[in-house]
Amino acid sequence: MQELLQYIFSGLTNGAIYAVIALGFSILYGATRLINFAHGEFVMLGALGLISLWQGLKIPLAIALVLAVLGVALIGFLFERLAIRTVSRPEPIVLIIITVGASIFLRGVGMLVWGKDAHSAPAFFSFAPIDVMGAKLLVQSIWILGVVVALTFALHAFFKKTLVGKAMTAASISKKAAWLTGIPYEWMILLAFVLSTATGAVAGVIITPITMCSYDMGTLLGLKGFCSAMLGGLGSLWGALAGGIVLGVLESLGAGFLSSGYKDAIAFGLLLAILYIRPSGIFGAKDLHRF
Amino acid sequence: MKAFTRNCSEKIMTQSSLHETLRIGLLAGAVAAAGILFDNAYHIQVLVFIGINTILTLGLNLLMGYTGQISLGHAAFYGIGAYTSAILTVHFQFSPWLALVPSLGLAVLVALIVGIPTLKLSGYYLAMGTLGFGMIVFIVFRELDFWTGGSSGLAGIPSLKIGPVDLTSGRNFYYLVWGAVLGTLVVSRRLIESRVGRALRSIHGSEHAAMAIGVNTQAYKLQVFVFSAFLAALAGFLYAHCIGFISPGSFDFMASVRMVTMVVIGGMASIWGALLGASLLTLLPEWLHAFAEYEMIVYGLILMLVMIFLPQGLLRGLLDIYERSRNA
Amino acid sequence: MKDPEMHDRDREDGEAPILRICGASKAFGGVQALEDVSFEVSQGMILGMIGPNGAGKTTLFNLISGLYPPDAGRIFFNEAEIQRLPTHQRVRMGIARTFQNLALFENMNVLENVMVGQHVRTRCGFWGAIARTPGVRREEAACRESALALLDMVGLADQALKPSADLPFGWQRLLEISRALASRPRVLLLDEPASGLNALETGRLGDLILAIRNQGITIMLVEHDMSLTMSVSDRIIVLDQGRVLASGTPEEIQTHSAVRTAYLGEHCEQR
Repeated sequence: MQELLQYIFSGLTNGAIYAVIALGFSILYGATRLINFAHGEFVMLGALGLISLWQGLKIPLAIALVLAVLGVALIGFLFERLAIRTVSRPEPIVLIIITVGASIFLRGVGMLVWGKDAHSAPAFFSFAPIDVMGAKLLVQSIWILGVVVALTFALHAFFKKTLVGKAMTAASISKKAAWLTGIPYEWMILLAFVLSTATGAVAGVIITPITMCSYDMGTLLGLKGFCSAMLGGLGSLWGALAGGIVLGVLESLGAGFLSSGYKDAIAFGLLLAILYIRPSGIFGAKDLHRF
Repeated sequence: MKAFTRNCSEKIMTQSSLHETLRIGLLAGAVAAAGILFDNAYHIQVLVFIGINTILTLGLNLLMGYTGQISLGHAAFYGIGAYTSAILTVHFQFSPWLALVPSLGLAVLVALIVGIPTLKLSGYYLAMGTLGFGMIVFIVFRELDFWTGGSSGLAGIPSLKIGPVDLTSGRNFYYLVWGAVLGTLVVSRRLIESRVGRALRSIHGSEHAAMAIGVNTQAYKLQVFVFSAFLAALAGFLYAHCIGFISPGSFDFMASVRMVTMVVIGGMASIWGALLGASLLTLLPEWLHAFAEYEMIVYGLILMLVMIFLPQGLLRGLLDIYERSRNA
Repeated sequence: MKDPEMHDRDREDGEAPILRICGASKAFGGVQALEDVSFEVSQGMILGMIGPNGAGKTTLFNLISGLYPPDAGRIFFNEAEIQRLPTHQRVRMGIARTFQNLALFENMNVLENVMVGQHVRTRCGFWGAIARTPGVRREEAACRESALALLDMVGLADQALKPSADLPFGWQRLLEISRALASRPRVLLLDEPASGLNALETGRLGDLILAIRNQGITIMLVEHDMSLTMSVSDRIIVLDQGRVLASGTPEEIQTHSAVRTAYLGEHCEQR
């Protein structure tokens, strides 16, 4: 029983991370019908960026957090302007290759800047772990879960209640109608990219205390985040949250009870299963026929 | 008038067919010449790798170019070809020639199993699906260490022999590989210039319209996918027996990305684009010795810049520029 | 709303209709594009379909050609139920179509467009292509021959090797029709073929349509050009907001009061 609880706790923690990454995918897809293959690399930049700012440059944690997220959002801004906006033939295959290229490029940059070693950061708060029926629950885990849920609420409110958020949703449904009603479509796409990459950075910063970070952490995280987003239904914020938790727990249980070497294969297998059986996910994606 | 037109059309079409035959003939000549002229074992090795990469890229080139399917996990088939033969020859003492059939057969089988559900997807979902599949196969290579040797790899793969003649030594292997390359080019070209090729080109032109004239687009996408897996496995087989040692690291996500980059840079839906792309990206690391550090940055930039500015690839892009300067 | 007259006429001839639509319905999101549409098309008939924009004409074509299945209803081709069959099988059975916005293969030349149109009537497969047997070579030559003959029929034979994208618009339309004919269909669906053509070209189009029918091919024509439709059609069906508003001969339709109302609005005085 204690073992099971331990797996579930670590599963919830990882799941929360996947959920934040999945949020980034869903935000972008919901607003632009695009999927950014390089999203995992933005997570990596957020994580390593925080570590450099906080541990390397000794900037106070709170400021370092904000700087890291803003910095990554700026890179996201540049990425959209330089690599996405300038495309002469915005067909799916072209955009896929561009974002894959960006992913590789950012990984290369990451390797040059931070080297091949793994870096880590200490926990944000130094509280002792909580004991639940013999299983240990880290305070960091509770904090991460809290951040993720709060973030989901905030984004939900943004898209449903604020004018900008509603405009973004409208623009994604019909480009022409948006243009007719004066919504600046191009700014909406840019905003979506910035918001999505900023969310990725948030995922990166909250992951730093609980795992070793290196230049190549993005690929796997990005894929698992995407898997979570698909599981919950691409484009749905609550779906991203649910999908992330489900994947995290399943992965943890699988690694614990079956085999740890094949742990990553669980996510991929699940991804393939979703793609084949129910691409619209648990909560149903917003119209699938574009891609 | 009608008879004249008929003869005229026939003449022009056979003429373009003749040009293509000439080009392949020229290539064969160049290959033979290079085989005689190049003395340096290192240079021959590089040429061998260009050949292997051309076979590898050709199928993917047709897949991406004609059917618009993107495969981010194609290294899996490359690996299946390599590992199947390696395991059979090292653990079960198969003769390499005998191991060729199951290597290719397994790749074809897996391609069918994976292809049928995956090719119903489109765009991003397909890309993610192939990526996931590629990663799963990579993990299997790494974890089945009893057979595959795990991360440390599998050594002692025997060379290809006919009687006493060792085909994997230096120049012999060069001729073997390039013989296979030429064979593959001829087969591909015959496919493209046939009813099958027209159907593929119609899918490339407008999938909608292709369906409307009765092309079973699903079936053709699957055929090209399987063909590309077959070629990738063939390349893997040659690679394994050439080097004598393989490890999962050669068949990871970056390997798949390299293959896609070769297709993209050379130009899709073009057998000569495949040759160009394979050549460029095999030579690139040779030219940039400090390359290892910058490999990812360079590949990433190539992918992005080519797709943004020259999406039709270097071959067609350069030809277009040449045409335009001639007409100007 | 079935037209009883049309049904009886078929019974009289003793021949089954080549195409039969029964209660077809299709909705997209909240929009009901087609609702309970039923009619029959007999062999060798030219059936015109008219109606205001959004009436569901192209949707109906898409249902017949197989782009998507109907939500309800059945479609019969030579009394065989086809609404669940994939498009390529329907083409093999003998249904061909053209597109409102042209869908040529711009990466191929004129001749190749028509040659690929013969896809369902030729056989060479993967292995045949690689082996290139004499049989395959003969099929290729025959394919080229018949493609040229088709191009000759519409007057495009001397432009056979031109890139299809380089043709003027009117010729491109003719090319698309030749490509559709290449599959030797029993039924040809023409989706606004006169759109974008001038008066002279439209006249020639009308002659072509009649010539095609004289070869025994049944034609369904969606058009906005009234004079063309009235002059070539044997019967006309009027669609409005997804329903069959009226059906009859061109003369009957021209004097039909509900049709006039749909096109010209309420309170329109009869001339």
